[in-house]
Amino acid sequence: MQKKAFSFFHNNRASLIVLFALVLLPFIVGLFEGASPIVVWENQGGISKFVEGLGIEIFILALYALSYDLIFGVTGLLSFGHAMFFAVGAYLTGIALKSFALSLPAVIGLVFLAAILQALLFGLVLPRVKGITFALVTLGMASMFHIIVTSSELGNYTGADVGLQGVMVPSFINPANERLRFYFVALVVLILIYLLYQRFVNSPTGRVCVAIRENEGRAKMLGYNTFAFKLAALMLSSFAAALAGVLHALYQPIVSPNVADLSFTVTALLIVLIGGVGTLSGALIGAFVYRLLDFGLRRYIGENASFITGTIYVAFVLFIPYGMVGTWRLKSFRVAQGWRRLLAAFKT
Amino acid sequence: MNAFFRKNLLSAATLIVILIFFIAAAQGMNSQDFVITFLRGLSVGAVTFLVASGFSLIFGLLDVLNLAHGTLFMIGAYIGWTVFVRPDTFADLLTPFALILSGFALRDMYPLLSARVRLGLRMRRILPWALIIVSVLLLGLILPRYPIAGWNLDNYAESPVTYSFMASQGTPLPPPTATFDQISPALAIGGLLLASLFGSFGLFLFDQSVQRSPRLSWRSYAGFVVLLLVGLIAFIFNSALTAFLLGLNANWLFFIAVIVATLSGAGLGALMEATLIRPLYSRPIYQLMLTIGLSAIGVQIVQAVWGRPEFVMPKPTLFNGSGASCPATSFSSWWQGNCSTILLLGGRVRTYNEIFIPLIGLLVLVAVWILLQRTRLGMIIRAGVQDREMVEALGINVRRVFTMVFALGVGLATLGGALAAPSMGLSNAMGESFLLNALIALAIGGLTSYPGAALGSLLVGLIQQFIIKYGQIGISIPFTSIVLKPTPPIVPASTVLLMVIILLIMPNGLLGKKE
Repeated sequence: MQKKAFSFFHNNRASLIVLFALVLLPFIVGLFEGASPIVVWENQGGISKFVEGLGIEIFILALYALSYDLIFGVTGLLSFGHAMFFAVGAYLTGIALKSFALSLPAVIGLVFLAAILQALLFGLVLPRVKGITFALVTLGMASMFHIIVTSSELGNYTGADVGLQGVMVPSFINPANERLRFYFVALVVLILIYLLYQRFVNSPTGRVCVAIRENEGRAKMLGYNTFAFKLAALMLSSFAAALAGVLHALYQPIVSPNVADLSFTVTALLIVLIGGVGTLSGALIGAFVYRLLDFGLRRYIGENASFITGTIYVAFVLFIPYGMVGTWRLKSFRVAQGWRRLLAAFKT
Repeated sequence: MNAFFRKNLLSAATLIVILIFFIAAAQGMNSQDFVITFLRGLSVGAVTFLVASGFSLIFGLLDVLNLAHGTLFMIGAYIGWTVFVRPDTFADLLTPFALILSGFALRDMYPLLSARVRLGLRMRRILPWALIIVSVLLLGLILPRYPIAGWNLDNYAESPVTYSFMASQGTPLPPPTATFDQISPALAIGGLLLASLFGSFGLFLFDQSVQRSPRLSWRSYAGFVVLLLVGLIAFIFNSALTAFLLGLNANWLFFIAVIVATLSGAGLGALMEATLIRPLYSRPIYQLMLTIGLSAIGVQIVQAVWGRPEFVMPKPTLFNGSGASCPATSFSSWWQGNCSTILLLGGRVRTYNEIFIPLIGLLVLVAVWILLQRTRLGMIIRAGVQDREMVEALGINVRRVFTMVFALGVGLATLGGALAAPSMGLSNAMGESFLLNALIALAIGGLTSYPGAALGSLLVGLIQQFIIKYGQIGISIPFTSIVLKPTPPIVPASTVLLMVIILLIMPNGLLGKKE
């Protein structure tokens, strides 16, 4: 018993250290400013509040990228309409809270239903189109959603081009006053979804999804109904993305139509590619790198930042060929060997 | 006959639907509106076709989804503008570009050279990096000091907007002259040549896959010598060349601008394929990231060099007249007056936008069709689209064909950009919208089918223009008195909707082959 518990901690020590650091992060950052943890606890620290905000954005982005990785990296469906999953969650939350004044559990229930519905909508076209054609059809659907959201006829609800503004956030989770709580809520949601996905990928169902990515014809020939597995992956993915949208709408009480755009899908694609396709932890690390890169470059370089981001992407593709986690997994043995050799050289 | 119908039932049905659409479109529109809208649709369709056909060739043969294609289209437009409005800048740029490219023309010699390099494994790994760093340093030292007469983005009186406006008024500004600054001309030329040789050899050393050395013949040196001569001659006769280009008839200058844009696009494409895309054939999905990154870089470069404001390239004089005899009533009177508009069936049609561009589109369509159907290269391309492994197995150097197709595709896009610049204007966002248009057109017509690209582009252009027109005049729904006016968001929505419907009925597009 004792040994088993120890091995659990030993095997997951890296993740646990990261988790511990993330929990303590707001307080530690507060200490730099001279604010005691109690001040941070009461949401009064300046810099720690800022770091919490950045953390929340990274968690939301990571959740969104994670959901993209499940259908793109694990199941192998290239979708250009993923932003729709996110935007539906965000817009539903915004409209339900603002125009209909629903309670938060009701909103989440509604979003859950909507997530299933839109996964079914994508599933509708699944048997007919594959590969790049599927990407184009999903792009078409997401564009239709974007056009509907920005059309002036629905302006009362969606705010048309300007976006949905002034979402009434319930006070117990209001990011302005209760940001620390929001930080932990976002972190917990992210971890729960990550664990769920991890379990899914390692389950027999997830294995079949990987098999579909590798060779759909063969999986079909083995007797698996590949459509059902793809639909399952789509539903899980859609739910997580919509949840990320909910958090987004709550955190920034504005929902801009940009989140339904093709470029937002491309963001998810880039994050997954940075982290490593098909590695769930890659999506998390990729979101962290992407957001910090974006933030840092915009802050210190300004308008020309996207030149540097573009160059970094190109360099990434050429020199870190399978994303950060993917390349690490390929090379970790050699790196470990190199370290051992280095340490041995020091000893003698 | 019966069997034929049964086989092509779906295509026939779609054709009938398209016909019904056009008959419905003609309803409630007077003939002049119809002619103008139709020709506008053709114009947009022709430009979309130039982007889409290159995209489809690249995707068909190389399986590369080149998301930077729209940006390359935009770069073509800006290059065309530079040559047309500022020929002196073009003349100044000719020398450094020819010199930098000359090293890459010596590609056939490098296997021999690399066989001569006898170094340890570690040094061999460092060598390409060292060569490239030296090359970049040399370029960074020389290029800022190299005299290039350009424009000044910070000063409005010397910005591209002003140059463009003055040129369209017929009174181009006198070009500034630039002289060598802190560097002797011979040193600059020699340095550029050295940087080019180092850089190209360094890049070559990265590519480990090429092992055998091709037999050397005069062709191996011809490209290098030609580029070197072009560079040197352009350098020695710089002022004469500038004066010649400035004094040239605007029609010829426009012709030169389009040619230069096409050729530089082809060169850019070949360079992109050889250096960046080639390492990625084994990891297909990562080209998406690469092309997205390149697209971002391209947009930023355009913003840094030509600035953010939009401007319009003046039309060549052949299509810019506005004398007493304008608008022309027939083509012969247009030829005499060079009118910018012409009366066709009572409608006033702009000759450049609505007659010239569709004609060029048709010309390119036929030319590439002949290239694909009647030449050896085209045969290899068609075979490669169908089954790449088989072509490789037959002993054909597909690598070289890949580079050529990439160059051709990008060249077509930049040609489209240069042609679209006078009619649609130059802006930093023009690439993105045309990329989306081209994607939709290809999805409609069939992703890897060349006639499909033409049909899809035509449909996209026509439908967009008709919807815009109906947004102005309204559609009267039959048997009712309701007049429906499509709002602007419907324009993109209509083509996207069409794409989704067609892909759901025929997953391979209208003319795509079944797998």
